[in-house]
Amino acid sequence: MHDVTVLQAILVGLWAGIAGIDQFNGLTHIHRPIVTGAVIGIILGEPTVGIITGGTLELVWAGMVPLAGAQPPNVVIGGVIGTLFAILSGLKPEVAVGVAVPFSVAVQAIITLLFTALAPLMHTMDVAAVNGDTKKMDRMAWIEPVILFLGFFIMAFLPAIFGQGVVTAAVKAIPVWILGGFQAAGGMMPAVGFAMLLKIMWKIEYAPFFVAGFIAAAYGKLPILAIALLAASVAAYDFFINRNNQTPTTPAPAASADADEEEDYSNGI
Amino acid sequence: MASNEATIKEVDNLQIPDTYQDPSVNKVIDKSTLHKMVWRSLLLQSSFNYERMQGGGWTYSLIPGLKKIHTNKQDLGFALFDHMQFFNTHPFLVTFVQGVIIAMEENKENRSTIRGIKVALMGPLGGIGDALFWLTLLPITGGIGVSLSQQGNIFGPILFLLLFNAVHFGLLFWLMNYGYNTGTRAIASMRENTQKISRAATIIGLAVVGGLTATYINFSLNGTNGSFAIGKMKIDLQAGIIDKIMPALLPLAYTFFCYWMLKKGRSPLTLIGITLLIGLIGSFFGLFAWPAAIK
Repeated sequence: MHDVTVLQAILVGLWAGIAGIDQFNGLTHIHRPIVTGAVIGIILGEPTVGIITGGTLELVWAGMVPLAGAQPPNVVIGGVIGTLFAILSGLKPEVAVGVAVPFSVAVQAIITLLFTALAPLMHTMDVAAVNGDTKKMDRMAWIEPVILFLGFFIMAFLPAIFGQGVVTAAVKAIPVWILGGFQAAGGMMPAVGFAMLLKIMWKIEYAPFFVAGFIAAAYGKLPILAIALLAASVAAYDFFINRNNQTPTTPAPAASADADEEEDYSNGI
Repeated sequence: MASNEATIKEVDNLQIPDTYQDPSVNKVIDKSTLHKMVWRSLLLQSSFNYERMQGGGWTYSLIPGLKKIHTNKQDLGFALFDHMQFFNTHPFLVTFVQGVIIAMEENKENRSTIRGIKVALMGPLGGIGDALFWLTLLPITGGIGVSLSQQGNIFGPILFLLLFNAVHFGLLFWLMNYGYNTGTRAIASMRENTQKISRAATIIGLAVVGGLTATYINFSLNGTNGSFAIGKMKIDLQAGIIDKIMPALLPLAYTFFCYWMLKKGRSPLTLIGITLLIGLIGSFFGLFAWPAAIK
């Protein structure tokens, strides 16, 4: 059984903060358990246990990766807490996983909440964009990484200093329907983003292509790449048909367009 | 605060013009600008949120190039605002999209063409990237590292980081140059057909948005609570009725509800508020699934 000094708890928190940023920005993958395990081990003076636990936790999270924007149980806090308790309570790595997973699910819920709550920030950034205020945009780009750093610092520091029981109780105190509500809202929110895209791109003559793309994905379960390639085939067909059937409206520009087209052919061949 | 909100409202109703105040084309993008954009692409997800996903970080990553290209302040503003819209792709492949798009911006292509190409590229690359990196590169490099780690060898994590990042950063820089050169070449061959290219790009773009609507929006009712009973027959609303009518019906309906609200002049912020309310109220009555492990 080890005791964690305040300095060690702070170092654990700092590493979790850095790893929390790296999970979303930078992606050098120092946030993976294989690295985090070694670092936590070194901080707590048990490098070998840390490295071995990190390796085991890495395998657990091997399949839990962000696919299509969906977030798995949080890998950073899983690696940090798992290694922490493996070292502190002498748990086997396989058992430490069991302790780590509920924490990482809770943290994932908090991150879902963060990604939902930060949507309004985009509209302040919109204003800076229209004003061409790139300095303000540069500053705003760091808001979320700083929040992530502080959040991960706290979420690793508290378990490190108070132990697992206190923190688990705190997590359970949040009404689960609130977490569920934010999760549901986060899932629905891309609809707002797509609606804004549609507001810019939509023309009724293009509606069939939206419908076809939707059907191909919803019924056909086609991947987005397949849908894009199919649409590209249709677009290419439409492009060539239009080019060949071009009826000149005013003589002068049409003539120059023809000349350029001939030039294009010669360039192409 | 009040004046700030007024500006947000103005911006929401802004129409992005398709052409530029200053349409002159100058070759201003050099290697160092491209490299700056690669480094900035590391912050692609710095403003990640569920409404625009990587839109903010994507715009941030383009700033060095856009500033050099659009010396006219209004052109710059509209270009930045245009890129602020929904964006999501794989962070390891994004530099290819950056390269293509910045080549098009440099050539002052119409905004609708740039937008169409951007949307057409981001979705497919996202899918390829997931398969290539999260499901291939990470397990391979992780596996090599773990085999050393399990013997308590410190070179496990070190080797993992070296291997992984050699591929990661090698790809980021190579794809940026490749994308920029591809973009430049493609533009040269499509000069006179911009109108038609724009049409083709919109066709692909809208098909991709249609596909994304069906797959990226997570909106379904909880099986146990989202049901009602008629006599002894229990009917599951989601699986028994909604999915029978049409898969992804709720995402589609909600997207068009949002579109309709935007058309009516409601602000996106109002829509975010409505979305949160639906989520919380629905969750309170058990219509949506709750996070499992902390029940």
